[in-house]
Amino acid sequence: MDITLIPGYQYMPELVEMMLKIVFIFTMNVGVFAPLLGYVERKQSALMQDRIGANRAAILGFTIFGLWHTMTDAIKLIAKEDFIPEGADKPLHFLAPFVAVVPALIAFAVIPFGGTYYLWGHEAHLIIADLDVGILFIFAVAGIGTYGAVIAAWASNNNWSLLGGVRTAAQMVSYEVAMGLTIVGVLMVYESLKLTEIALIQEDFFMWGIFLQPVGFLLFLACALAENKRVPFDIPEAESELIAGYFTEYSGLKFAMFWMAEFVEIVTISAILTVLFFGAWHIPFVTHDGLLSLLTSVVGADIGNLLLMFIHLAVFWGKVCFLIVFLMLIRWSLPRFRYDQIMKLGWKIILPLALVNILATGVILLVVK
Amino acid sequence: MAGGYYKIKRGESLTFWERLYLPEIFRGLSVTTRHFIPNWISTIIAYITRTPEKRKIMTIYYPEELPEIPDSYRGKPVLVRAGNGATKCVACGLCEVACPPKCISIVGGNRSDGTRYPETYTLDGSRCIFCGLCEEACPVEAIVMSHRYQDLCEHDRSKMIYSKEDLLVPEKDLQSRLDFIRRRAYGKCNY
Repeated sequence: MDITLIPGYQYMPELVEMMLKIVFIFTMNVGVFAPLLGYVERKQSALMQDRIGANRAAILGFTIFGLWHTMTDAIKLIAKEDFIPEGADKPLHFLAPFVAVVPALIAFAVIPFGGTYYLWGHEAHLIIADLDVGILFIFAVAGIGTYGAVIAAWASNNNWSLLGGVRTAAQMVSYEVAMGLTIVGVLMVYESLKLTEIALIQEDFFMWGIFLQPVGFLLFLACALAENKRVPFDIPEAESELIAGYFTEYSGLKFAMFWMAEFVEIVTISAILTVLFFGAWHIPFVTHDGLLSLLTSVVGADIGNLLLMFIHLAVFWGKVCFLIVFLMLIRWSLPRFRYDQIMKLGWKIILPLALVNILATGVILLVVK
Repeated sequence: MAGGYYKIKRGESLTFWERLYLPEIFRGLSVTTRHFIPNWISTIIAYITRTPEKRKIMTIYYPEELPEIPDSYRGKPVLVRAGNGATKCVACGLCEVACPPKCISIVGGNRSDGTRYPETYTLDGSRCIFCGLCEEACPVEAIVMSHRYQDLCEHDRSKMIYSKEDLLVPEKDLQSRLDFIRRRAYGKCNY
């Protein structure tokens, strides 16, 4: 049978490429980072506090620094009873974890994790959906994640949960506006909303966002941490006050999904920070074409492109891992902000600073051009 | 990590730099990093080279690694087996009297050469409080506190009643503790 007779055969490479990319991102987030970050979190916090951390689970006497605990955690969560409290709104109670975890995963669709490579006559772009308004799409989707927490809180029929949900909503209001404004400076510098274009400009080391927008970076980092609902900004969860906040009444796999949403959000935030401020997949002082011509002269054009793709993937995910460790460091170093302190920080500090940053960026751009 | 203590000078109200949040946040992060990075590296090095003493974290991985027991440690009380294979005990009964929970009971007897020895020496391990008063009372260094602290528990209390044969331990295994007792006893009176 002639393969060209299949309708739409000319789109097959694109389809295969798309499937591979989606599977890759999904595997990285749900299969690698979500379970691994649970382990990293436990181990890193232990090492920071001069403790040992998880190290007991062993297979045939090998503990490999307690890495099997990722597996035992998963087995435990799957084996647990899925408890729904009396008086809970069952459909919403079921829906909430999905609403929490899906936006975190979807945001990754517009984040480029590699450049463009020519593999055996096929042009591969390492981004799932190259939207023109990529960064706006991320903000739009990230906002939906808050609904997961609020729905979970409402559906649980539990006072602690409801308080957590109210706090989530209040916190979201106080940082979401500022978050949008912090990024405007970056968009002004790169003159684009498209994440691939922003990433391509950062091929030059001195064009990295961290050098052009240091204030924007700090403000965006603070807002991103608040978005993630982790420790300096964890009033929705507040273990010492609200038991577990909005997911108090969740157990088993649904609890695991909230947990996963939290970790996937960390990865997403790290990826966004990498693309906007840390030069995406670029190695400092090494240009795409320079490395490609070097590799091509050694192993040929196709293999060279493939090798370059793997190098860039490793660089990108290496940067993401570094930022994840940094975010974990912040999470285990700082105390929780009080309710009113978050409001104050969002409205009275970050928002004016973001506006001043935009003004300053505009003036500098005007003078330079 | 750091030994000793130091006093932190802290004013009544926050200074300008403290109110800025950021410098203080970086200071906090640097403190945790100074713990995290050395602990991380030293743990991995210790794991690869199999040298637990190189770990900066002081926790001992207990069942695999055992702590170093100091000479002054009071473990299970045992009878010293002298060179001739018999106990040094002369059945004077001082330990019996000194024992606060009264867990020792002795039945004395005479050997053919006229020396006294315990026919039975029973120590109820379920009642012993590891105070070491028997050791201090003993005039002939016959009962000493060993360094043994593992496998002392049983599900049945009747298994914890030790007879003379259970308690006898060769003198060479107890040398460090015997030396410690002599240092303690004679060190005080400038002997």
